[in-house]
Amino acid sequence: MYYFGKNMRKILYIIIESIIFFCGILSIIFVILIFGFLFKESFVFLKNYNIVKFLFGRFWYPTLETALFGILPFICGSVLVSVGACIIAVPIGIMTALFISEVASKNIRNILKSLIELMAAIPSIVIGFIGMATIVPIVKNVFSIPTGLTAFTGSLMLAFMAIPTIVTISEDAIHSVPWQYREGALALGATKWQMMKIVILKIAMPGIMGAIMLGIGRVVGETMAVIMITGNAAHIPTSIFDPVRTLTATIATEMGETVKGGIHYKSLFAIGFVLFIITFIVNFIADIFLKKNKNL
Amino acid sequence: MVNNKIEVKNFNCYYNHDHILKSLNINIIQNEILTIIGPANSGKTTFLKALNRMNDLNITYSYKGEIFLDKNSIFSMNMEKLRQRIGILFAIPLPLPMSIYENIVYAPKCLKIVNKKQDQDILVERSLKNAFLWNEVKDRLNLSAMKISGGQQQRLCIARTLAMNPEVILFDEPCSGLDHISTEKIETLMTELKYKYTILLVTNNVKQASRVGDKTAFFLNGELIEINQTDKFFISPKNKQTENYITGRYIIS
Ligand SMILES: Nc1ncnc2c1ncn2[C@@H]1O[C@H](COP(=O)(O)OP(=O)(O)OP(=O)(O)O)[C@@H](O)[C@H]1O
Ligand SMILES: [Mg+2]
Repeated sequence: MYYFGKNMRKILYIIIESIIFFCGILSIIFVILIFGFLFKESFVFLKNYNIVKFLFGRFWYPTLETALFGILPFICGSVLVSVGACIIAVPIGIMTALFISEVASKNIRNILKSLIELMAAIPSIVIGFIGMATIVPIVKNVFSIPTGLTAFTGSLMLAFMAIPTIVTISEDAIHSVPWQYREGALALGATKWQMMKIVILKIAMPGIMGAIMLGIGRVVGETMAVIMITGNAAHIPTSIFDPVRTLTATIATEMGETVKGGIHYKSLFAIGFVLFIITFIVNFIADIFLKKNKNL
Repeated sequence: MVNNKIEVKNFNCYYNHDHILKSLNINIIQNEILTIIGPANSGKTTFLKALNRMNDLNITYSYKGEIFLDKNSIFSMNMEKLRQRIGILFAIPLPLPMSIYENIVYAPKCLKIVNKKQDQDILVERSLKNAFLWNEVKDRLNLSAMKISGGQQQRLCIARTLAMNPEVILFDEPCSGLDHISTEKIETLMTELKYKYTILLVTNNVKQASRVGDKTAFFLNGELIEINQTDKFFISPKNKQTENYITGRYIIS
């Protein structure tokens, strides 16, 4: 009987282990497949179109007789909107996380946490829709510009979407810093604020970095809200109050109109590939940061 | 000339409604080591933390009575200033996850005590020397503080406290996790430090108290049972409970 139980458990372990292994391999395979597919399509495109002209071309006229596929405006648009969103979302997110975990009382903490989780659950199309109805006219009037559909408005909306991610994950990181560290800092004569600066941000930094990266990931990949709010103008922006168009928006709006297998169609895959590379670089930088922290 | 650094006058404190420290009266003399012994839960840690008001972080804590530092009530002082003057070290050394150098200058930098790089260098060297750690780490100040031994970490934490230039240092069982060589180093260190600072040492190790203390106090259930010069304390304890405890015949009642 005893041996039977032991064997059963062994078999169970083997089954569980292989399931976990299978899932792990599966996700790796998916990534490789997606990468391969993107690569294949973009490779075909880049064989027909000069990569420098593609990346640094200033004009996007995919339907002209001599079609131009310059995505520099979209890269600028994406970077501008994303950087803007990060500048807004990162400080607000971290401060909110600090407030929730260090300052707020337990009740307020619970209320705020559930509110923010709720905020994360709003579909992006709804955010875009609300933004169009509210923020866009406000931006237009406050800055008295011809249209409220600008990179800045997009950044605001995207920040709104990134904040819940940043707050929830960095709050967890901050909250899990052992109490002894706080005590140690206070014992050195730090005030509560200094204690946060001395220990919490320092020790929770890997977690906070992770939160920021996930936030940025959401911002870079976001499409629907951006299409609705940034104005979709395929030109290189000169200020944050210009309408812009992002890489994702280009793919989403044009994919339906292309001929499957045509060069325009393939060019959109190449854009997808560029996006892939961008997120890859962001993750890579994040990894470097995290490693640097871990080595200590 | 003996100078009372800290005077505790009829001090009582409570967690919720539990009476933890009961009518304590203690004088702590400047440049002396007072060791405090006593069984678990006798209030030793609570007493140390009452002195630099670390207990006050707990909202269920309350107190009655007075404590004076250099004749001034600690309860009317700026709490941060007080904690800089009375530093505390805990049983488990907790260096920050950064380099040895950074560990020492981080707090002084944040508290704007040092700014210039060369002042920082001086501070690091002085603190590490005073903590008897300089020779062991001087060539690898940029090494992570997590990668040195427990005993070295404890001395690093001492150096970190010294860098804040305190007047009194409270040690709460600083050797409890260390082997006897590291313990010896820290004991020597404490006997050196007393020439510059006033030291309180809580220890579970009765022998350690007899080795390093100028005075020794015995706590039991939040009461001060006996306090005396260390040699007299151990040779001829006046109180029966003290005698039982130091001879190892203490039975938890
Ligand atoms: N934060 C707290 N909240 C409630 N009660 C506490 C708290 N800290 C300590 N106490 C109580 O105060 C009493 C004294 O505890 P204290 O930690 O001072 O003992 P100690 O002498 O340091 O013991 P040990 O030798 O185990 O460290 C204990 O009964 C403990 O339960
Ligand atoms: Mg204790």
